[in-house]
Amino acid sequence: MLPLQSATPLPDRISGLLGLGQFGVPGELLAGLLASALVATFVLLNTAVAGPWAKRKITASFTDRISVNRIGPFGLGTIVVDSVRLLSKELIIPERVDRPAFDLAPLVLASSALLGFAVIPMGNGIQVADPEIGLAYVFAIASIASLGLVMAGYASSNKYSFLGGLRAVAQNLAYEIPLVLTGVSVVIFAGSLQMSEIVAAQEATLFEVAGVAIPQWFAIVNPFAFGLFLVANLAEVGRNPFDIPEAPTEIVAGYQTEYSSVYFVLFYLGEFIHIFLGGAIIATLFLGGPAGPVLPGIVWFTIKIWLVFLLTQWCRSAVPRVRIDQLITIGWKGMLVLSLANLVLTAAIVGVIA
Amino acid sequence: MIGVLKSMATTMKHALDGNTFTVEYPEEAPEVSPRFRGVHKFSQERCIWCRQCENVCPNDTIQIVTDDQRNGEQYNLHIGQCIYCRLCEEVCPVDAILLTQNFEFTADTKDEFAYNKEQLKNVPWYKDIDPLASREPDRGAWIGEGDGEIDYQ
Amino acid sequence: MSLEQPEPPTGGDEVGVTADGLDYDELAALVGDNVIDREQHVNAEGFVIRPDAVQDTLSTLRNEAGFDHCSAVTAQEYDDRFESIYHLKKFDDPTQQLSVVVPTTKDDPVSESAEPVFRTADWHEREAYDLVGIDYEGHPDLRRILLPETWQGHPLSKDYNQNQPQVVPLREHANPLEEDHSAGEDSDTMFVNIGPHHPATHGVLHVKTVLDGEQIADIEPDIGYLHRCEEQMCQQSTYRHQIMPYPDRWDYTPGGILNEWAYARAAESMADITVPEYAQVLRTMSAELTRICAHLLALGTFGLDVYGDFTAIFMYAVRDREVIQNLLEDLTGQRLMFNYFRLGGVSWDLPEPREEYLEDVRDFIDELPERLEEYHDLITGNEIFQIRCIDTGVLPPEVAKNYGATGPVARGSGIDYDLRRDDPYGYYDELDWDVVTQDGCDNYARVLVRMREVEESAKIISQCVDLLEEWPEDDRDIQANVPRTLRPDEDKEVYEAVEGAKGELGIYMRSDGTDKPARFKIRSPCFSNLQTLPEMSEGEYIPDMVASLGSLDIVLGEVDR
Repeated sequence: MLPLQSATPLPDRISGLLGLGQFGVPGELLAGLLASALVATFVLLNTAVAGPWAKRKITASFTDRISVNRIGPFGLGTIVVDSVRLLSKELIIPERVDRPAFDLAPLVLASSALLGFAVIPMGNGIQVADPEIGLAYVFAIASIASLGLVMAGYASSNKYSFLGGLRAVAQNLAYEIPLVLTGVSVVIFAGSLQMSEIVAAQEATLFEVAGVAIPQWFAIVNPFAFGLFLVANLAEVGRNPFDIPEAPTEIVAGYQTEYSSVYFVLFYLGEFIHIFLGGAIIATLFLGGPAGPVLPGIVWFTIKIWLVFLLTQWCRSAVPRVRIDQLITIGWKGMLVLSLANLVLTAAIVGVIA
Repeated sequence: MIGVLKSMATTMKHALDGNTFTVEYPEEAPEVSPRFRGVHKFSQERCIWCRQCENVCPNDTIQIVTDDQRNGEQYNLHIGQCIYCRLCEEVCPVDAILLTQNFEFTADTKDEFAYNKEQLKNVPWYKDIDPLASREPDRGAWIGEGDGEIDYQ
Repeated sequence: MSLEQPEPPTGGDEVGVTADGLDYDELAALVGDNVIDREQHVNAEGFVIRPDAVQDTLSTLRNEAGFDHCSAVTAQEYDDRFESIYHLKKFDDPTQQLSVVVPTTKDDPVSESAEPVFRTADWHEREAYDLVGIDYEGHPDLRRILLPETWQGHPLSKDYNQNQPQVVPLREHANPLEEDHSAGEDSDTMFVNIGPHHPATHGVLHVKTVLDGEQIADIEPDIGYLHRCEEQMCQQSTYRHQIMPYPDRWDYTPGGILNEWAYARAAESMADITVPEYAQVLRTMSAELTRICAHLLALGTFGLDVYGDFTAIFMYAVRDREVIQNLLEDLTGQRLMFNYFRLGGVSWDLPEPREEYLEDVRDFIDELPERLEEYHDLITGNEIFQIRCIDTGVLPPEVAKNYGATGPVARGSGIDYDLRRDDPYGYYDELDWDVVTQDGCDNYARVLVRMREVEESAKIISQCVDLLEEWPEDDRDIQANVPRTLRPDEDKEVYEAVEGAKGELGIYMRSDGTDKPARFKIRSPCFSNLQTLPEMSEGEYIPDMVASLGSLDIVLGEVDR
């Protein structure tokens, strides 16, 4: 079995394998590009399965329906068909939109989420870069998405989009802080911002039950923080009960009302990448990253991010959406206080133990 | 919080039991009740051209043309305009116009739904169910005459 | 009694109430000189009053005689005059009815508006103005309501030329929604058109909304996008056969059989037809099946409004409706547009084999409590749902009465008003069931009322099934002997209402001696209920407005007719 973590980052290994090292900086650049392309393809593959197919199948099974099954085994051919369908639609650009912003918004949303994956350790040494400030980088890059939402909402020249954009900002501000604070409590445990260190810190055995070693996953060590993080993450990716920036029955589709064709696909894609990035952060911070028995790390990692995806769909089927004022109240008066308490408590406990 | 979890448990129960209530339509054609009202079928052998169906039709869907001897020439029925109320079948004294169970009909334009006599004769039975045989024999029995003088209009 | 804030009078001290019904002479004496003539309608007596004494008469009747429910306003044109009829009732006892007839001359069709007395008259008078052309003096906002602003002529008036093309310059039709609503640069509010195409409007409803941030500063429902001339179509159809298919198409959720009953009741009371008992049981059972169906859809769509589009509730509700629709298909031959009732009975007996069918119905009823338990788990027990719905969209009972709200909306505001019990028809008074009320007055209460009404309907159905099983074999008449052509006596007028899925569904008909009604007026419960939307949602958040709209459970087919 390949080692879970590798001291050498993925680009270096690729350049080693292909012998790109001799070309100096261009070689490094090429190796970096190849590594990024590999990771991006993996993420986009997951998204492709999730968006047109898995999401429908999951929703269908919650609602006692059959759902897509016409093309290919289990209807998997729908993925191809749907992509072609979406891409071949007419791109409608309404009058009086704020052009550069309107065009850039979907790109910003999709790419910000994708960039976050650069520092995620996916197991089997698949990690494009492992900077010391990995966690800070992920949170920072993921929150650029809010900018994309504001751009989309404001540039669309549509009142529903405008409301959706405003709601998105209010929501992301209110929930990013508890998210980061809860993440920091993990950092206090692990003693590092570096993603590989955080994963490594969770490898130790916490206790043994009937001969099975239970690893020191932070979800087990601090389930309270895990719960907080899960909820804040739901708000961060904008899913029920916090899907108010889109809220189709209230403000049509929020910031993405005016987008069609390729732009819409980018939004759609961006949302799903965001859900998976959320899943990746949760997996890394709380579920031991790619760790798991028997199967290779990358498989475990995939399973974990899909579980988080499943949770978002599950909530959609059964949890009502809260109102905007309630959402803000929960964010500032509830989540923030709880996450601060969690942080202080963690710091105190770690301080006492250490 | 308990309520939220209970809701989530409810939907998860449905996801896990694997039952579905939708059907794969073209492969699995639905059972249609014998009383179901679908596209009309016309029988020229039975028709006596009394024009009662034309009279009773609430939205002038049926159009009948007869010659001056009151022999029938045309029987037109716009199945796209029809509201499927079954009054024509109820007033027909000889079962010349029947509503089959057939609900599957398509056309490119609405004009193609204006069926003439021949098209109406060729409407197939749905799953070979003859509505006359499958419905109870006392249909039409409800049309009373009232007390007093009978009014033949 | 002071004029400023009339206290709602209670039972005993109302003028004109005697042990055996209303004493119209006493009522006429109460109104005094305003009455210039008296008419006999089939359901009640009509007081013909002077057109400048409408407010005076109506407020006296409301404050001193207890007529606190203005069901509808019917307007019509005779050869020599226009007439508006205010159908008054009491919430406490809807069998006590009174029609207030206001004639106006043809040259100057102006009568006083009743809006200051009954808020519900607002929309009803606008409709009368729109379709018939009567001018209501003192009405706060007399505009067209069903037809576009640019419409020329009043379609139900006698001199209206139906063939006249509605020529409107393109300039005015370029974008009917594109009025300039901006209140200047420094305005703090934003105008938003919610609808006519919007996921939450349950059809083609247009809500003109002024937002202050996320809160609603001003709101005005704009209806008429689904106006299909249902009243006029019925006026061109024969009583005996042709009208009956149309009620199915008013409230298509499906409230079909309930709507058919409204017409059947009015026509049967007009033509004096007695329906066989057996047919009444069949009617009651099928009507209650429809009611469950309609309430389940209301629940499902409310789920969509509050939960979002991916909620499971809607599909579960549709799944349960599917069972009922199969049952109704077996019985009536159609899943939505039943056309099951006939004057004097129903068109089909139970399908054969009868035992099997009744067994199917019983199976459904037996499974229902379990299903409802699931809905309670999924919806009413959910804390987030509760914080969303409790104390939002509040409609106090006094306001609800003033707006003529009926059905689950009124009962969710604690108004104990259900025509099935209060003005019995069919077989309801022989059966054992309860009227459901909730005192919450909010969105939550309205949802709860519907869910509990489903239970009550199930109770009624299971009693009907018992009755149908044991009914003597030789007494199974499904039809009274009704003439092929009905020609009620000339100038017979009737207003009869039944408890539809959404509330009091009334039909006013006037005959002119032919086989077609001279005036056919539909009192749609949704029309009156929708009027309360501004009362509920002003000052609340957009999501609450959407939830309130969902809990009103309007069907645009019935609002616009």
